[in-house]
Amino acid sequence: MMRRVWALAVVTCREGLRDRSLYGILLFALLVLGLNVAVAGFFMRQLGKVTVDMNLSALSFAGLLLVFFIGINLMAKDIDKKTIHLVLSRPFSRGEYIWGKFFGLVLLVLATLALLLVFSCATVATVRGLYPNYFDGFSWSIFFWAVLFIALQLMLLCAIVVFFSAITTSSFITLIFSMASYLVGITLEEVLFYLKSQAAQGEVIASESLQRLLEVVAWLVPNFAAFDFKTEAAHGLALDGVRLAVNAGYGVCYAALVLWLAALIFKRREFN
Amino acid sequence: MLDIQFSTINKTYKPGLFKKKVTALTEVSFSVTTGTVFGLVGPNGAGKSTTIRLLLNLSRPDSGTITVNRAPVTDRDFLRQVGYLPENPYLYDHLTLTELLRFAGAANGLPAAQIAERSALLARQTGIGHAMKRPLRTFSKGMRQRAGLCYALLHDPTLVILDEPMSGLDPLGRKMVCDLILDLKGQGKTVFFCSHILSDVERLCDALAILDRGRLVRTFSDGEMAAFRQGEASLEEAFVAAVSAQAEQGGAA
Amino acid sequence: MALRKLAICALLAALLVPTYLWLHEMSWQQRSEVRLAQPPGYTLPSAFGRVLALGFQGLLSDFQFLRTMTFFGDRSVNQQEMSAEDWDYFAHSLEAVTDLDPYFLDPYILGEGLLTWNAQRFEQANTLLEKGIRHRTWDYVLPYYVGFNHFYFLKDYATGSRYIMQAAEIPGSPAYLKTLGARLAYYGGQSQTALLFLKQMLAETHSESLKQTMAQRLLALERAVEIETALAKFRQEQGRDVTALTELADFGYLNALPEDPYGGQWRIMENGRVYSTSKFVEVRPKK
Repeated sequence: MMRRVWALAVVTCREGLRDRSLYGILLFALLVLGLNVAVAGFFMRQLGKVTVDMNLSALSFAGLLLVFFIGINLMAKDIDKKTIHLVLSRPFSRGEYIWGKFFGLVLLVLATLALLLVFSCATVATVRGLYPNYFDGFSWSIFFWAVLFIALQLMLLCAIVVFFSAITTSSFITLIFSMASYLVGITLEEVLFYLKSQAAQGEVIASESLQRLLEVVAWLVPNFAAFDFKTEAAHGLALDGVRLAVNAGYGVCYAALVLWLAALIFKRREFN
Repeated sequence: MLDIQFSTINKTYKPGLFKKKVTALTEVSFSVTTGTVFGLVGPNGAGKSTTIRLLLNLSRPDSGTITVNRAPVTDRDFLRQVGYLPENPYLYDHLTLTELLRFAGAANGLPAAQIAERSALLARQTGIGHAMKRPLRTFSKGMRQRAGLCYALLHDPTLVILDEPMSGLDPLGRKMVCDLILDLKGQGKTVFFCSHILSDVERLCDALAILDRGRLVRTFSDGEMAAFRQGEASLEEAFVAAVSAQAEQGGAA
Repeated sequence: MALRKLAICALLAALLVPTYLWLHEMSWQQRSEVRLAQPPGYTLPSAFGRVLALGFQGLLSDFQFLRTMTFFGDRSVNQQEMSAEDWDYFAHSLEAVTDLDPYFLDPYILGEGLLTWNAQRFEQANTLLEKGIRHRTWDYVLPYYVGFNHFYFLKDYATGSRYIMQAAEIPGSPAYLKTLGARLAYYGGQSQTALLFLKQMLAETHSESLKQTMAQRLLALERAVEIETALAKFRQEQGRDVTALTELADFGYLNALPEDPYGGQWRIMENGRVYSTSKFVEVRPKK
């Protein structure tokens, strides 16, 4: 079983890596990194913070583009173009197919991030070499933790993409739904805490039922903001081990649940 | 070793979320015995591809059962012995044929050496050895068909399911497919194939079933097929007779 | 036939390319005029900004900060006076930047540098810095700034001293802060203390360009102190305030009225301090 999942993952990842759009995404990320070196001097003190912000944002944004514009096609196109008939005529169970596609997407994301990380480290080292006095608080280990959590966030997004690909017939619908999930997931925390803080001050902006609804949504959609350690990396704020462990566990459990549900639905699906 | 049994299969499906149901198959029953070349013929839209998808458990019948060796197809163990070539196979764009075949072999649990050996053999047989390292996206229709054949036959399956294997092939290619099918038959394999090219069917098949608008119109036994081959009767006439009889029946009902 | 086609193509190109270049020039010209005439921008309320940043709050803070700097830079390059509205925008923008990333040091420094010296908005500067103190708990510079503001601008020596003491307690702060805090509590009103303050600020600055700016400011301040000292002597000996600063030279308290290195005119503020019309920002026309 592991061999079949692995074989599918490798094929999926390879198919993604050879997509021409990948070069565009990489080029974009490299441009941002280059821009970083150029604009760093505009700032007064915290060049390190600006550099880390730009690097992590470039990695994270490139990852999002990768998942949304290449990743989605890798599974949705299988179904669209009926390539899946070829795959499922092999002794794959539907669950194995789901997991294989998921691991393929994750491999693709990891490979791309690893490549970009090399460039990113070079950029950080360059800017740091140019302005060594303005990197107080910078720590490579926190920087790498932040990158790891970007990868985790993207992995979660891959699981969501696989889920929506499993239940819809068109890649466009998958794109819309997964983007919506991401947008909701990344903003929900801010909105909920804002509403709570306003409520604490006695100002009621949203009705109680709306707030309830948002809390229910928070159970369904992952809190992507929980994987954001960009601020900590930018300022070299110490990371709490418990916080890392809790959020990593939260992400992994969510992904596992979503994939399991996807497999359940996918088992019932017919390909006409 | 693999007896296929369709008994009273009904299948409808919805082409879209808010669209009306379409009847694909009505009360279809037939069986295929091991070691024969079985042809499923019928006009476009008769339900040939649906039949194959049901057999592969890609979709499920509304009623009726499909068994392979008396085990239901939902038990996917039999897929290990199945090779399938879809109609217009769409392969991965950016992979090379070598990589696709490596994937096919790994999915069936073949060791790497055997995969390489079988790939080389099949590439020679189908005549696509020159394009093993090219991305599949650059393949023409006929080359894709050949690549799909390699994919289907890589693990030396006992049951080969071919959906319109001749489409898009030049005369040389058609001869290659015919030879391949006869070769498989010689090895005692079961071949299940769909076509609407009657001359090929006549030449290759031991048994035949005609589908029209989701109904099984007629089956021909081995003996009848032999008669066609020897020119004592014409398959074409039999086919037209069967389909138009069905049309009249449908018109009356 | 082919020749005619070629001629038409060449003609079109000859028309189109210069027209494009000319319009390109016009368009940029227009944009620069539009930007000058533009009222200060609207800053998105932080509650929305944080949501709309979609997880890129840090990057957005960098960008908004860059815009704020460019806005101020535009105004000063074109020698436009910052209006009250402009300063409102400036302050709101820094608030927004620090809401997006409350750990970001640069906006606090810029706020301290401009909201106090240039805009005379001491309370606004202090509110901004208080936010920084809450988040950058390891940083002694921010309470130090607030202490400076209380001492130098607001003349609240007790509060100023308290903030300096707070700064002195943060690990890594320079040792002299303790002395400074104590000194402030006793001799708060003396201009010399301000000079001392500025000298310390200069000593802590790493950036070359900032150092130059601060050295210039220090020079200006030293001269202001020189005038203030002369003023105090004048008051003591003549028993009245001067009617005009030129009196100081006339009565021999100064050899000559020193020049403001920023090119402005000296004047006496309501609180008795000497300040310049340049507000210690370069006002000399560029050569």
